Amino acid sequence: MRFLVCLKQVPDSTVRVKVGSDGRSIATEGITWSISPYDEYAIELALERKDADASTGVSVVTVGGARARDALRQALAMGCDDATLVMSEQELPALDAAKALAKVVGELKPDVVLCGKQASDDDQGLVGPALAEALGWPHVGMLTKLVPAGDGVELWREIEGGHEVWKAKTPVLGLVHKSEKEPRYPSLPGIMKAKKKEIPEKDLESLGVSASAPRLEILAMEPPPARGQGKIFKLDGDAKGVAAQVAKALHEEAKVI
Amino acid sequence: MKILVIAESKDGELRRVTREVAAKAASFGEVEVVGVKGERYSPVAWSAAVADKAKSSGAQLVLLGATLNGRDLGARTAAKLGWAYAADCTDVAVKGDAIEVRRPMYAGKIRATVKVPAPAVVSIRPGAWTLPADAAAPSVSEIAAGAESDRLSFDRFQAAAGGGDRVTLAEARAIVSGGRGLKGPENWKMVEALADALGAATGASRAVTDAGWRPNEEQVGQTGKTVTPDLYVALGISGAIQHLAGMTSSKVIVAVNKDPDADIFKIADYGVVGDLFEFVPAFTEAVKRVKSQA
Repeated sequence: MRFLVCLKQVPDSTVRVKVGSDGRSIATEGITWSISPYDEYAIELALERKDADASTGVSVVTVGGARARDALRQALAMGCDDATLVMSEQELPALDAAKALAKVVGELKPDVVLCGKQASDDDQGLVGPALAEALGWPHVGMLTKLVPAGDGVELWREIEGGHEVWKAKTPVLGLVHKSEKEPRYPSLPGIMKAKKKEIPEKDLESLGVSASAPRLEILAMEPPPARGQGKIFKLDGDAKGVAAQVAKALHEEAKVI
Repeated sequence: MKILVIAESKDGELRRVTREVAAKAASFGEVEVVGVKGERYSPVAWSAAVADKAKSSGAQLVLLGATLNGRDLGARTAAKLGWAYAADCTDVAVKGDAIEVRRPMYAGKIRATVKVPAPAVVSIRPGAWTLPADAAAPSVSEIAAGAESDRLSFDRFQAAAGGGDRVTLAEARAIVSGGRGLKGPENWKMVEALADALGAATGASRAVTDAGWRPNEEQVGQTGKTVTPDLYVALGISGAIQHLAGMTSSKVIVAVNKDPDADIFKIADYGVVGDLFEFVPAFTEAVKRVKSQA
């Protein structure tokens, strides 16, 4: 079975993201960039299939600028077989990125395409469903588990109170929410191997895609409103007294109970 | 502006977010509310139905709740229509031919104002729009689902162990979350007792769901759920930036932690420094007392 994982490079989740001087983009100086967390889960899900069956192939692709090569190398070092960069220094509208990715899918012909459910930059979660739409494939969201079954796969979708289990014939696309195991770290041999691998580069023109999708325009960015210093209570052996004070405050001041 | 609101139901009842969206949308447009007929959400069949309806109704804006299914349906529908799309918005304003939305980005670390060209599909975060007390239930007409993909079929539902009838996290008006400070899954009875007293959902930090103490679906924060309840109670949660990103927009935050320097206290409205095993049972009783008197 062949997998293609679509990933995006975003600010690492530990980064304190700040608004840039133009007030409508983020300050990028000194930022550590990583594979978006949900995409890492997607890679892990695919690599677990490869662990179970060595004939499994796992490719990765991203749409991004030159910097995004680092994210692809990271994926290769984790154990993915090959990587493709769709070069675009400008952030593409999601529907255009999906069209470009659909062309890559057409070339690589994977059985299963996995995308993180959303990238932790714009948090839109549009590229995955749009890619499925562009391909005319079904998709299953909130994926936490994927098991080969017969001539297809079983896809576990996390919903309130449990999982829906869907049976799919390939090819199919999954939007990954989580993997059961934490995404693996690259091994040292993995890193050495990844360094030597060629990463072929494509662009919209070579893929025959013209940018035509509606564009959103960010007018302003701001940090979440600062929260004022709250009231601090120390227990000091009087749990009952403090509990009564907090409950009273929630009722009378905050009016939430 | 003509607005199509897509209703979502659970167990035969309209979800609160549908009512929130329908009520608010009426203040800036001409609203029609429809729901897709069918027991189980399916992206291909439902997006086909909504896209058809959006085109035939002449709507310039499709609104739906940014629930699990709503976000999935909204994205696929926008892709099918080739329309603009904005997810998980906290506000919408119609400005001439364009729509301006407010939405979180970077896992909640940034708030953005975004211009979205019409026609557009926009999903609205549950709880972002307060439901007026006197809001009438919207009248919802049903539309038939489109054709299903022949490559995909629903097989079964696998209930989560320990899942109960508690309120769901995304729409809960109160949430009690536990972190590593709870020391083990056996101590969740205490969390649940407080949640029951408050009528709250239960949540957890990533450390807790990763350790398998609680199911994944309870995780609050980046890579988990982003929540905006009226009351968020954090028990034994130190306040990693990824957790804070997911709950910092809660209206009122209560934090209990034995470490006075824990980051969670920087955003808490009421911070309790001390042993949660002493405080929580006493607080549960105090909440019950206040509620019974109110």
